Amino acid sequence: MFPSFLAAFLLFIQAPECHPEHSEGSDTLKAAMVSSIYGSIIVPQRITSGELKSASGLSEAVRRFAGVQLRDYGGVGGLKTVNVRSLGSEHTGVFIDGIQVDNAQNMQVDLGRFSLEGLGSVSLFSGQKVSPLQSAKEYSSASSLYLESAEPVFAGGKRNNFVFGTGAGSFMTISPSAVWEHHFPGGSKLKISAGGVSSDGRYRFHVKDFRQYSDGSLAGYDTTMTRFNSDITSARVEARLSSRTEGISSWNIHAYFYGSGRGLPGPVYKKAGEYPLSEDRQTDRDAFLQGRYHRDLGKVWSLAAKVKLSFSHLEYTDFPENLPRSLSGPSTPLRDRPARYNYRNHAAYLSASASARISPTIRINIAQDIQYDYLDSDLRSFAYPGRLSSWSCASAMLHRGSFDASATLLYLNVMDSFLSGSSRSSARRDVLMPSIVFKWKASENLSFNGFAKRSFRMPTFNDLYYTTVGTKTLDPEDALQLDLGVLWDVWSSKTGHFSIKADAYRNLLQNKIIAVPTSNQFRWSMYNLGKVSVMGSEIAADCSTKISSLTEIGMTARYTFQYSRDRSDPEALTWNGQIPYIPVHSGSLNLLGAAGGWRLDITAFMTGERYTTSANLPAYQLAPWTTLDAALSKGLRISGYDLTLKLRLNNLLDQQYEIVDNYPMPGFNFRFDLSFSF
Amino acid sequence: MNRCALLVFSVAVLAVAAGCQKSETTSRDADLAGVNVAVGEKNGAFRKLFVLNEGGFQKNNSTLDFFRFSDGNYVSDAFGSMNPAIVQGLGDTGNDLALLNNKLWLVMNGSGYVHVIDARDEVHVASIAIPDPRYVAFDASHAYVSSYNGAIYGGDEKKGKVYRIDLKTYRIDGEVEVGYQPEGLAVAGNALYVANSGGYNYVHEKSVSVIDLSTFKVSKTIEVASNLHFLVYDGYGKIWVSSYGESSWSQDDGGNWVQSMSEPMGLYSFTTQVGSGSSLPEKIGDVHVMCMTRSADNIYAIGNAAEMSGGYDNTLYEVSVRGGSVTATSLSKTDAAKVGNPYGICVNPENGDIYIADADYTGPGKVWCFTKDLKLKWSAVAGMLPAHMVLY
Repeated sequence: MFPSFLAAFLLFIQAPECHPEHSEGSDTLKAAMVSSIYGSIIVPQRITSGELKSASGLSEAVRRFAGVQLRDYGGVGGLKTVNVRSLGSEHTGVFIDGIQVDNAQNMQVDLGRFSLEGLGSVSLFSGQKVSPLQSAKEYSSASSLYLESAEPVFAGGKRNNFVFGTGAGSFMTISPSAVWEHHFPGGSKLKISAGGVSSDGRYRFHVKDFRQYSDGSLAGYDTTMTRFNSDITSARVEARLSSRTEGISSWNIHAYFYGSGRGLPGPVYKKAGEYPLSEDRQTDRDAFLQGRYHRDLGKVWSLAAKVKLSFSHLEYTDFPENLPRSLSGPSTPLRDRPARYNYRNHAAYLSASASARISPTIRINIAQDIQYDYLDSDLRSFAYPGRLSSWSCASAMLHRGSFDASATLLYLNVMDSFLSGSSRSSARRDVLMPSIVFKWKASENLSFNGFAKRSFRMPTFNDLYYTTVGTKTLDPEDALQLDLGVLWDVWSSKTGHFSIKADAYRNLLQNKIIAVPTSNQFRWSMYNLGKVSVMGSEIAADCSTKISSLTEIGMTARYTFQYSRDRSDPEALTWNGQIPYIPVHSGSLNLLGAAGGWRLDITAFMTGERYTTSANLPAYQLAPWTTLDAALSKGLRISGYDLTLKLRLNNLLDQQYEIVDNYPMPGFNFRFDLSFSF
Repeated sequence: MNRCALLVFSVAVLAVAAGCQKSETTSRDADLAGVNVAVGEKNGAFRKLFVLNEGGFQKNNSTLDFFRFSDGNYVSDAFGSMNPAIVQGLGDTGNDLALLNNKLWLVMNGSGYVHVIDARDEVHVASIAIPDPRYVAFDASHAYVSSYNGAIYGGDEKKGKVYRIDLKTYRIDGEVEVGYQPEGLAVAGNALYVANSGGYNYVHEKSVSVIDLSTFKVSKTIEVASNLHFLVYDGYGKIWVSSYGESSWSQDDGGNWVQSMSEPMGLYSFTTQVGSGSSLPEKIGDVHVMCMTRSADNIYAIGNAAEMSGGYDNTLYEVSVRGGSVTATSLSKTDAAKVGNPYGICVNPENGDIYIADADYTGPGKVWCFTKDLKLKWSAVAGMLPAHMVLY
């Protein structure tokens, strides 16, 4: 039985996914890693414990992956979303322990809100993960980012683990955290964690522009400004309860609450003397309760169920400008009332899946998911949209000697209802998403894999029901992906390894949803007009070697090539141009050295030139950039307490750069973390 | 304050840079090569066609281009090239461009500035801070700038203002409250006429405010039509004002959004004697106005003739301000069929050439030059959202 105080936490619960293969008893991180890879034919890119701890946040960890472009609006509170293989962030599903984090309003998942604390691994599956007992939704995104919680480990029969930590650093940032893990006599494990971040978010940046003249002279300006209204205060409380009966069943529930208030500094643009650029604010309240239950029924069948309830409330406050002092005489009244907009997203999700090993070589998976989303807002003449989605999926997996393959058919049926005038109307959209995946192990250390997948992303509530735009028959965005990859373990021994993973792919994005002016050009509407053709490749090389039991060096290098062309309109200047914000070349490099309890990670990111529009003219070019980060950590054991010290130096070269046009990124910054556990 | 320090620093940088680059910044803009788009018209009365690109919302990429008649070259971002040390260039969302006494006035809506530059070489002369400025008009001694005055969509309803700027000192020396979200304005005699849109209000404005220039107070308010925008004086006693129209969106049973226009983007006129006796504002035929300009004795406008039915039929209207006749030419049957989103129009009074600014919403726009019979003369790639043009 649960202790009674847990009842309060049950309001906010969610659960880590456990595959049946996970139930091999070991709670170590290694087991957690193995469990996720096992059964998945597509080999993901993955960052695990050590490297994960050296990252300064989830978004920074994820952007190390090949094929990923992080869209970062800068600063502690700036929105951070991922775009995989040029398909747009709406095509990437983010899953926490196998259950998707989504919102029907804009399909944007802000990675800046997630803590690395408690995560065991982060994996990126291009195409999709294929493993037994997957829910139908796990097949639906063009690519999937999996955040997997680390299972609590109780050393030497301990019943309780405590971790207290605090971080402090640039931008006046303070981030305390606390974790309590408890092992119940019945075998269930409870983890309660809480954390907060407070930061004024201010940083200096350069605004500069130099131009070259025909006579060879150079003229321009370089001035320093400060990012204001970029503060954030956030708090997170989570509770997770998990239990497992070896070889029979397992379940978990996970409650999550996140609240934040932040300034929206907006883009940097010229503003007359005494005006603030932006005083706009955003307040968020996100909560979810999710759970998973899995049961093996004999040797053939196993079943899983997942459930999730989520709620999020966003309040956006738009402040009118105060007049500059030179214009506001003594008679000027106090500042005007701001405009406030509230959005409340409600979602309920239920999934049931069954898996049968019908022969030693064939496994069948069937899954049915249902979700209901509802968006409430105080916008004028709002449509109050509701959406009932149903994913039905059948999948067959073949395992024959060195050959693995899977074929999946997913049917998504979406029924929207919305207020139109005084009565509610409805609209239906449905799509069929087929995919095939294979892996062939040519030898002990060489395997080939590939996939073909057609996936769709539904128009969001914002695409369809935002009051100032309208839509004529908006179809889902259509993404077709073809991929061929190779995984080569060049060298592997007990003391180290060297492996190379390379992929070449071809993507075609059609019916891309874009906003264009209507017959009255001051009103905009959403249309399926965009078309993008992508040819890309990714190469990741990973090596490490142990010099002694405590001394290790390693390196991971990742390179991405994306030739992503706008094929929307042959008559336009944008025809066949590289699409906005996608560099042709980008990459990252991570170097690791560990000795005597010390660990040093050095990470470099390189991004080539990009354009803010598909018309690839010099005026719309964004400069290439390179950043260098370092993280140094040291673990100590003092009379039963484990003490970890960590110093992270970000953007060591003080590179002034922008990922999103007019949103400057911070220059050099640092952070110090201290945590002790017992 | 940081902001103060910043300002001082910017000025210092500017001064140093200007000093270092003296030879460049004071040289005439003849050094700016541009791209050759046409054979020159050396003998014309005009030297340049200025094009103000609005730029994207809060993108800080508003630029000033010009087409040089002597060599047929189109020069992009001339302001930036001639004033490289001015921090952040022109700024954000250039909403109006006007010429007076060899000076160009650029109204930067997003940046809250009105810039004055020398029309001969694009060198910066002065900048005046005005909140949310929209359009500018002149009399002999002053410039008048309409302003939203800090109103925001969804906030409290807040009336706009007109600011008066002394042409000698470039300082604000007067302000007067007008209707909600004032737009176009024009001086006729001793009065200033200001079109009020009320665009942020649930129910739009319908009026033109008339300001007596000797007292700088609103002397009367004339009800014309809903959601007014462009306003010009024809020099013959008539004010011409356009409406953005009224539309609503609804969804049909299939979930498709349907736009229904309840009032067109029409053109109206009234005499400056309005209200005295029989002269009430009148609607001008079947004219649709997305952009308009006055050239000699004509009003030229481009609009969508099929807007009421939700279709597309971009049409050029030529309205004689003296006779009142309306000539409508559908662009689809001419070389101008290539124009995607007509966003600004300018007409050469000398030869009748029609310049159309064509805004592309995903990339840079274009400027097209057609003869008066809509035969293509040349076209050039402009900046983002080219919109406002002036002949110099």
